[in-house]
Amino acid sequence: MITLIQALLNGLSLGSIYALIALGYTMVYGIAKMLNFAHGDVIMVGAYAVITSVVQAKMPGVLGVVVSIAICALLGVTIEFLAYRPLRKAASLTVLITAIGVSYLLQNVAQLIYGTEQKAFPELFDSIPTLTLGEVSIEGSLLLTLGLTAVIMAALTLFINYTRVGKAMRAVSEDKEAAELMGISVNRTITVTFAIGSVLAAVASVFYGASYTYIRPTTGAMPGIKAFTAAVFGGIGSIPGAMLGGILLGVIEQMSKTYISTKWSDAIVFGVLVLVLVIKPTGLLGKKISEKV
Amino acid sequence: MLQVNNINVFYGKIHALKDVSLNVNQGEIVALIGANGAGKSTTLKTISGMLRSRTGDITFMDESISHIDPYKLISRGLAHVPEGRRVFLQMTVQENLEMGAYTCKDHTKEGLEDVYNRFPRLLHRKNQIAGTLSGGEQQMLAMGRALMGQPKLLMLDEPSMGLAPILVQFIFDMILELKSAGATILLVEQNAEMALKIADRAYVMESGRIVLSGTGEELANSDAIKKAYLGG
Ligand SMILES: Nc1ncnc2c1ncn2[C@@H]1O[C@H](COP(=O)(O)OP(=O)(O)OP(=O)(O)O)[C@@H](O)[C@H]1O
Ligand SMILES: [Mg+2]
Repeated sequence: MITLIQALLNGLSLGSIYALIALGYTMVYGIAKMLNFAHGDVIMVGAYAVITSVVQAKMPGVLGVVVSIAICALLGVTIEFLAYRPLRKAASLTVLITAIGVSYLLQNVAQLIYGTEQKAFPELFDSIPTLTLGEVSIEGSLLLTLGLTAVIMAALTLFINYTRVGKAMRAVSEDKEAAELMGISVNRTITVTFAIGSVLAAVASVFYGASYTYIRPTTGAMPGIKAFTAAVFGGIGSIPGAMLGGILLGVIEQMSKTYISTKWSDAIVFGVLVLVLVIKPTGLLGKKISEKV
Repeated sequence: MLQVNNINVFYGKIHALKDVSLNVNQGEIVALIGANGAGKSTTLKTISGMLRSRTGDITFMDESISHIDPYKLISRGLAHVPEGRRVFLQMTVQENLEMGAYTCKDHTKEGLEDVYNRFPRLLHRKNQIAGTLSGGEQQMLAMGRALMGQPKLLMLDEPSMGLAPILVQFIFDMILELKSAGATILLVEQNAEMALKIADRAYVMESGRIVLSGTGEELANSDAIKKAYLGG
């Protein structure tokens, strides 16, 4: 029983990280109709930004996180501006290949700056006490991950549903031309989307770094692909779908690790994805995509 | 108010608009009629910047708009209700209207009042998702949404498409009402008879060219038009 609760909590925490990253994939897909495969690498950049500011520049942890968030937001917006905006009318395969290129570029630049050796992620959350409930002990960082992710998701949902910019984002995601006729700048909306997605990735990178402790230039690849899987799992383009998909994926992965085998956990995760897509091709909460002529 | 001077528009190799020129004066209803594929929608899309002409110039309120970003036009007073309505199907009626006032959000409250007054059916459905509206209601929503932006010139692309005769009448009455309230309207229509009845002037398009123009009455009585569009 204790093992189960512990596995469930760890799964939720891992799932929260996936969900935060998956939101970036799904929002960019929903609004710019592209798969930003460089999104995972933004996590890596975010983690290195924390290392540089906290370990090397000796900033306090909170400030390091803020720096990381700012750098990721700027990075996301810059990638969009330089790499994707010129391709707005290009074939989707062209954009996809460009995204993969951006991903390799980021990894290689990180390698040039930080080398291939892994770097230790600072222990930001050590001061948060561990919560002990009977025989279950919950680490402070886990609680923070769960709590902060819940707050972020709630805030994002409110933002999308009730603010003027959030509504404009939904309008652009439905019909770009009609949105422009309303006076909404599609380019600016896409910029905002990349900024939000990258901020979420930066937050995820802090949680990820805290639980995996070591960072290398390829660090972003695995959580990136898992989060992409989570976004597809939940229904790509759907914000609640990304949240649900991320959480479920984390829980499934952790349960497989605890009860079946660590080696097989990834295979099981992707197996579940295939199964879901066979039964419901649009993902759990995905809407039917009607191709516009 | 609006001058289109000698525009040529291409879809790849297809030459869709050939030397098209037209103008709309303050306070007029101008109709643009023609058969399927004549280039009517292409003309409107070029005016609102979604397509670009290789030649000529388009001016609105004495300023060239040929190279302006499309999203800037509504704040200059040029609204376009596109073919097929294009309301945001997954948003509520009210959210759609709010989007119409995106560039003048201080006007949202009065705008909503005005639109709900004109189209009481929308008021009853304000929290309904637009995708669940009937075709007629969607047309009202599309027009209402455009009015939210306080346009000086309203371009309507086939507002009567797919509507029952009584609704067509309602929409045309609405257009006349807007005109008497001071609006200027460029109306694209398949329903040439109805359009010519309410239009001050009209242009006839045929395979990418303007082939005829005149007052609504002149065209309604011309033999060529009678033969081609009015069934004898
Ligand atoms: N996206 C496009 N790509 C290629 N050709 C197009 C495209 N859109 C329109 N065309 C062509 O341009 C011509 C003019 O089309 P347009 O839509 O302007 O006609 P229309 O007068 O509005 O017709 P309808 O009354 O059927 O709406 C047609 O021959 C059409 O096939
Ligand atoms: Mg048309």
